[in-house]
Amino acid sequence: MIKLVNVEKTYSRNIKVLHNINIFIRPGEFVSLVGQSGTGKTTLVKTLIGEEKVTSGQVIIGDWDITKISKRQVPYLRRQIGVIFQDFKLLPKKTLRENVAFALEVCGQNQKKIDKIVTTVMRIVGLEDKADRYPTEVSGGEQQRTAIARALVHQPKILLADEPTGNLDSINANEIIDLLLRINNFGTTVVLVTHNREVVNNLKKRVITIDNGAIVNDQENGRYFL
Amino acid sequence: MFLSMIRIIKFSLQDITRNIWLSIVTITILALALLSVNMLLTVQAVSQGAVKAIKEKANISLYIKADASEENILSLKKQISSMALVKSVQYTSKQDALNYFRDHNKNNPQVLNALKELGWNPLSPSLIISPGDVDKSEDLINDIKKIDSDIIESRDFSNNSALLSKINSITSKINDAAMVLIAIFVLTSMLVAYNSIKVAIYIHRREIEIMRLVGSPNSFIYMPFMISAVIYALCATMLIIALFYPFLSLLQPYLEVFFTGYNINIVSYFVENFWPVFGVQFLGVAAISILSSWLAIRRYARV
Repeated sequence: MIKLVNVEKTYSRNIKVLHNINIFIRPGEFVSLVGQSGTGKTTLVKTLIGEEKVTSGQVIIGDWDITKISKRQVPYLRRQIGVIFQDFKLLPKKTLRENVAFALEVCGQNQKKIDKIVTTVMRIVGLEDKADRYPTEVSGGEQQRTAIARALVHQPKILLADEPTGNLDSINANEIIDLLLRINNFGTTVVLVTHNREVVNNLKKRVITIDNGAIVNDQENGRYFL
Repeated sequence: MFLSMIRIIKFSLQDITRNIWLSIVTITILALALLSVNMLLTVQAVSQGAVKAIKEKANISLYIKADASEENILSLKKQISSMALVKSVQYTSKQDALNYFRDHNKNNPQVLNALKELGWNPLSPSLIISPGDVDKSEDLINDIKKIDSDIIESRDFSNNSALLSKINSITSKINDAAMVLIAIFVLTSMLVAYNSIKVAIYIHRREIEIMRLVGSPNSFIYMPFMISAVIYALCATMLIIALFYPFLSLLQPYLEVFFTGYNINIVSYFVENFWPVFGVQFLGVAAISILSSWLAIRRYARV
């Protein structure tokens, strides 16, 4: 469950990027967060993972009120939320398997469990045959699938996808959206941040539209209307 | 916990080896700081050894007339022994002086033959006075000058306090210069360690970003850099140990020549004080590099 109540975010010099945001996302929901570039979508994602503090209002993720979260608790919050980005954020000197394993290594997981989890998530994203390749040796879509695999290793309740298809052609973009839908079918809440009209219109899921830092539309089975 | 520590050390070693030239420069600067500290210690050890040796030899000799009676000599000895600034008085009789002279020149037959041809003991009895406090030698000399006794033939007042104050003055000046040098090196070391970690953070910025993204504990993000700082300190200390002992071994013969007659052994000083000297130095340089790394991490790694 994600709940944002009267969220405001203002940067220095009075630059307001989020204005009176009220959102409630139920567990297991698939929501598209749409809007033009620079409307505050990424800032919203950053507040959800505890990277940005809101100026006022309340952000609740599951049992966490992250407006009151301490610095020490942030890593534990992030293990509950998988995040993927447009630029994949993979380490070029590690294989796809090592990239996924890295997320577990840095959290102190033992090797046996790492091997088991990595094998499972690589199978889910359909990359078990290419796991020993380096990011430069696979396509953009496969790199994004690796990033999704990495986001899944902690079995998160929520998956935030910030422009995941932004660097992909339409075939690869559709594959990624299909994968996100499959993950959503397992019960994971998926928040897709995008400005890709075609993707949003084909999904026929809930669409929240943001313009100039404020919610201008929130529709079940919605469409991209800006 | 153990597994995390192993991984932290692995990441730290990767960081050091991937940036090997930067690591070498950092270790060299830290080693130079330690070198300046050790040079200061060497100067201090040598000067302390010299002062101690000079103090041990800072005796005043009173030569007694050859015809003075034993009774008068012992009476004079008693009078001097009772002085507040006197530690002890040693009486060397004519015969003792002769025995010592013969023993001292046993390998010099010409001197011994000359003594034999003379047919009588030309040496005077003497009183060797050890001062209680060498720094007050001047006062003791004045007190002894005041003794009015017919049996005193001559007095040897070679003034060691002047020599001691000269050594102390030179040591103090060297210490002052060395302290300035150490301060410069400590500051340089901090800046170099800070920049090394800053560059390491820049090189690892993507890893750090991903670590934060996937929920790595902050300790896991900053600990490899802290471990690198400790490894730099350890390498610098080991380097200085490896370089300094051969240097001391080369220096020792020159010290022996310079301080002929005095027992000054700089190598054994550093061997006997190995842990206090190099242990403290390691802790000091580790503290400097950890502090610098911590400042760099806080600023550039945002943990």
